[in-house]
Order: sequence, then structure tokens, then C-alpha cells
Amino acid sequence: MAAGDAIVGHVVTFGRVLREAGLEIGPGRVTDALRALDSVDLARRDDVYFSLRQTLVSRHDELSVFDRAFEAWFLRTPVLPPERLRPPEQVLQVVQPFPEGAHEDGDDADDEPLELGASGDELLRDKDFAELSEDELRRVRDLVARIARTRPLRRSRRMRRDPLGEGVDVRAMIRRSLRTGGDPIERPLRARKQVPRRLVLLCDVSGSMDAYARVLLLFLHAAVGTGRGVEAFAFGTRLSRLTPDLRTRDPLDALARCTQAVVDWGSGTRIGASLREFNAVYGRRAMSRGAIVVIVSDGWEREDPALVGREMARLARAAYAVIWVNPLKGNPDYQPLAGGMRAALPFVDRFLAGHNLRSLEELATVLAGVERRHAA
Amino acid sequence: MAPGSIDELEAALREADYLPDRGLATALYLSLALEKPVLLEGDAGVGKTEAAKALATALDARLIRLQCYEGLDVAHAVYEWNYPRQLLHIRAAQEGTVTESELFGPEYLIRRPLLEAIDTDEPVVLLIDEIDRADEEFEAFLLEVLSDFQITIPEIGTIRARRRPAVILTSNRTRELHDALKRRALYHWIGHPSVEREVAIVRLRVPEIPERLAIEAAAFVRGLRGLDLVKPPGVAETIDWAMALDALGRRELDAEVVQQTLGSVLKYHEDLDAVRDATLARLVDEARAAATR
Repeated sequence: MAAGDAIVGHVVTFGRVLREAGLEIGPGRVTDALRALDSVDLARRDDVYFSLRQTLVSRHDELSVFDRAFEAWFLRTPVLPPERLRPPEQVLQVVQPFPEGAHEDGDDADDEPLELGASGDELLRDKDFAELSEDELRRVRDLVARIARTRPLRRSRRMRRDPLGEGVDVRAMIRRSLRTGGDPIERPLRARKQVPRRLVLLCDVSGSMDAYARVLLLFLHAAVGTGRGVEAFAFGTRLSRLTPDLRTRDPLDALARCTQAVVDWGSGTRIGASLREFNAVYGRRAMSRGAIVVIVSDGWEREDPALVGREMARLARAAYAVIWVNPLKGNPDYQPLAGGMRAALPFVDRFLAGHNLRSLEELATVLAGVERRHAA
Repeated sequence: MAPGSIDELEAALREADYLPDRGLATALYLSLALEKPVLLEGDAGVGKTEAAKALATALDARLIRLQCYEGLDVAHAVYEWNYPRQLLHIRAAQEGTVTESELFGPEYLIRRPLLEAIDTDEPVVLLIDEIDRADEEFEAFLLEVLSDFQITIPEIGTIRARRRPAVILTSNRTRELHDALKRRALYHWIGHPSVEREVAIVRLRVPEIPERLAIEAAAFVRGLRGLDLVKPPGVAETIDWAMALDALGRRELDAEVVQQTLGSVLKYHEDLDAVRDATLARLVDEARAAATR
């Protein structure tokens, strides 16, 4: 059947086009697409469109890529090829913070002992992130990862057997009571399981914050590695979601790429507008509900500080707790006078510095045992 | 009685008082034809749950609904043993001996939605509502059930579906679902309807409403969706509002009646605050203009 073969060829190639554009298209999806086309009227354009879309796309944010590819491929309209979800490799290398091969270079590694003694670690612990050399940053990475493994827990409604639990495992009790003629002499206990609370990180990546954002992101990346339920965003003049990138990409690459997208150099930070975008798009999807939200920013709002206050109020209502990390707080003389910071503080549960490793440890401790300051 | 084409299914859904757009009709049709679950995503109130109900009516099938929530577990989704009855039975039979197999038999089983949907001879539409609210362990379990359509109860054995239920999953996207689950399902995104379609939906659900008022209400809600609101209204809210306006005996929209009834459209204090005075007057004017066009 020549016509059938032609369709198979079309769909297989189309799958490849979508894959190039960054969609995950396995052979299973292509098979589904062919089966779907088999059961609809190929003369109807919208039926063909939906059959392909519903079998090949599985996320809302892939729809626009799909639409452009569909236009370009099936309708042959002269439009631009679909935008790539992944940027070309060269871009990544230009912005990559660690020059490729610097580590293997050898000579500078020989100059300095790789293993820092306890005193070296101590020095590093108190060093401001903004003053780290590339080499120190690399060493900080490992330490950060270690600190990050603490995650706040919440009680799940799922139960597991626990000799110290507070509820009776009735199913097990019944089974054991058979031996004693129905008398529940043995009472196995069970308790609610503890599961990690959702953690949302909103990272200011505008000019002055860049150095801190990098380390905080490493911190977060390690936390993502410890399990799901961690979400990361970068903001400058607008907001961008980092989470999908963090699973697949080196965190610093992801951040560098994202920074380009959300920062207009020299135009300052729009904290209020970025928070509003977060609340409107992700808060509405209940991402912040019951979560611990960590905001990393110096609190310099370019626009109206009142907007920061309003959006913080909205955020604080949904979140379990809001933690604000401001590296400026590392300076003992610091006073939160910046308009945005002042407007935000009433809605912040914990206000931390996060400018060096020691203060990151403090953040980790807070994350592990944070309590809600305001009542629900 | 599976429909033979998308057109046929569309007509059957319309019979069931549900107006799907072509995309949704295609998704539901393919889900039946390919025997795959379909995942419906979209903003709250666009009619995801309604779609499942309408499909059940259209197929003359039983709708079984599993509402997901954080902490949902097997005992509430699949089955549970009826402990009080088991205990009573042991007590009553104290003289004789009670065997374990007797105690853990079908008559002491409480069947929850998933087991119900699999262990039946009737046609079934299984609605797994707001799957994104369940936790990930449950999602993994669900994935297993949806791949094999069988459930194993240690004390009884494996129960296989004799006919596969049509499965509709809905999600409000509070989190991304597992890729494995998504691979297993067709995906359809439901957007807000066009004004024309929304007018048609309102007139179908509130048949007594004057046409002019239906158009004005739909156009007004469309205007609201263009604002920066905490919760933009869905079709469900438009229908509620149309009912309210109709109950008040209104034939057309004016600023005063909108002010009185806006609470059935906007559910957040901030949103009600944002839609007042000049904004409200502008939207009313635009809605009235849409009806005279």
C-alpha cells in the first residue's frame, strides 16, 4: 500500500522534527500517532492535527512548538523552523562559568593542595560567595551539595507499620486475632509517613546578585537531586522556570542560559512583577500551596515597592513558610531599608543571609525544621 | 456501543447536553478507538470533569469517579477489608473455627472505585479526577493498574478486567506528572471556549435565558479573562452566573446587576476589587456592544 507507506514515512520524519525541537518522542508515540491517523478521516485537517497533537504532545508548554512544526511540516507554509528548546552548544560554552579543561590542566591544581585541611575549609566557610575564585567555587560545590541534603518533611496521609506509631494497623490486627479466637491481643501499630515538603526557590539573578544566585542554585540543584518536589525559578525583569532544566543540564549552564533570558542589563530588578507572575501562573496551579518558598534577593525593587508587598501577602497566604535570603544581611551594619525589602519583610517567616557556606548551613537547618510563623 | 466516528461521538455528547469542540471530541474518540486513557488538562472550570460525565451518558456507561487528594492510598482507591464485620464473624463463630480464607473472602471486601471499575461486566467510564493532587507513590501504582487493568489482592488473587473501562484523567497542573504515565495516555489541553461556543453552552444549560443576555454574559466573561485576575472564570462560572441573571428575571446586562451578581463569577476578594467602577462599566459596554453586533 503505497499511500499507507507514505503516511508512515511522513509521521516518522515528523516525529524526528519534533525530537529535534526538543520534544520527547519515542517509538511508542509514533506508533500511537499512526494508529490514531488510522481511525480518523485524513481529509479533515483539524482531525489530523488533533490526532497527531494528542498522541505526540504531553505537556502544555510543548503545544506552541508542535503547532509551528505542524504548520511547517504538514501544511508547508513558509514559516521559520520551530524554535529549538535547547540552545546550540556554542552558546553554552561561551557562557559556561567553568572553562572547559581548567580542572585537568594540572599546573594550577599542583600549586594548591586539592584537599583543603580543616582550617582551609573553615576559611572557605566564611568567605563571601561574591569573592570566590572559580577554583574555590568548584570546591564549594561539593560542600554545598552535602549541606543541601536536608529537606523539610511533612506528614503524609499514607501509613506504614511502626512499632512506635499512634494508630492501630487493623488489617494486621485482625489477622493476628485469628490465633486468639478474635481477641485482639496483639495490636500492631502504624504511623503516618513523613514525606518531603515541596520546596520552591525564587532566585534573583540580576547583576549584583549573580554570584550568590550561582551558589544558591548549586544548593538547590543538590536538593533536586535528593528527590522530586523541588521547583526553581530565576527572575530579573521577568520570571523563568528552571526546574525542567535542572534535571537534565548542568545547573550553572541552566542558570547562565536563563539569566540571559530574564535579565535586561542595567535595568534593575522587578521583584513585584516577577512575584506577580509567579503567583498568577504557578500559584494558581497551587504550586506554592503548603510549600516552603525561598526567595533569594537583595530586595532592590526598580518599580513600585507596594506591589512587592501585595504579592508577598498573596504568596505568604498560600505557602507554608516564606524564607528570604538576602546576602547583604551578611554585613553586620546592614539595615533592610531598600523599599522592596521593607515591603516584603512583614510576610517573611525567616530572614537569612546566605552569603557564605556558614550561613548556608543555617539555611539548611532552618529548612529542616522550619515552623510556620503565621497561623494557617 | 462505541461510536463509529468523531461526528457520531460529537452528536452523542451533544445529546448528553455537552458541547465539545472538535479537539475534545477527537481526544475522547481516539481514547475509545485506541483503548488508551486520555489526560485532560486545562484551567479550572473549562469542563474537564463534565466531559467525563457526558461521555458516560453518551456511551450509556456507568461513571465511576476517583477524586484524588494528597495522601490517597490503596485503602481508599482500590479496596479495604471490612474490619467490623470480620471481628463480628470471629466472635459469632467462637465455638467453631474460623479460617483465614473465610475471613478474607469477597463478602468482607469493601470495593473502592478502581476495583469497582475493573471487576464489573457493565461498560464503565472511569474518571480519575485531579490526579496531580495525589502523591507520586500513588501515581506509580495507578500506572501499573492502567497498563495491565488488573489488581492483585494478596488474600484473594488477581482480578483482571473483563472489559477495559474508558479512562479519563484530569489534572490542574499543580505539578508535572510522571513521563511514564503521560506516555501511557493521550493528551488533550482544553482552552477556554470562543464566545460563540460559550453562548451555545449557556443556552444549552440555561434554556430559558434570552439570547441577548446569553451573548452579553459570555462576552463579559471573555472580557474578564483578559484581565490580570487571580482566578479567571471558567465556563462553569459563566453558567452559574447566567442562571443567577435568569433567576433575577433580567433580559440584558447593566452595571447594577453585574455588581450584584459578580460574586458568582469571581471568587476572590482581590478580583472583585479589581473589577469595579470604570473597569466594570467598560466591560459592560463592550458586552452590550457584542450583543448588538
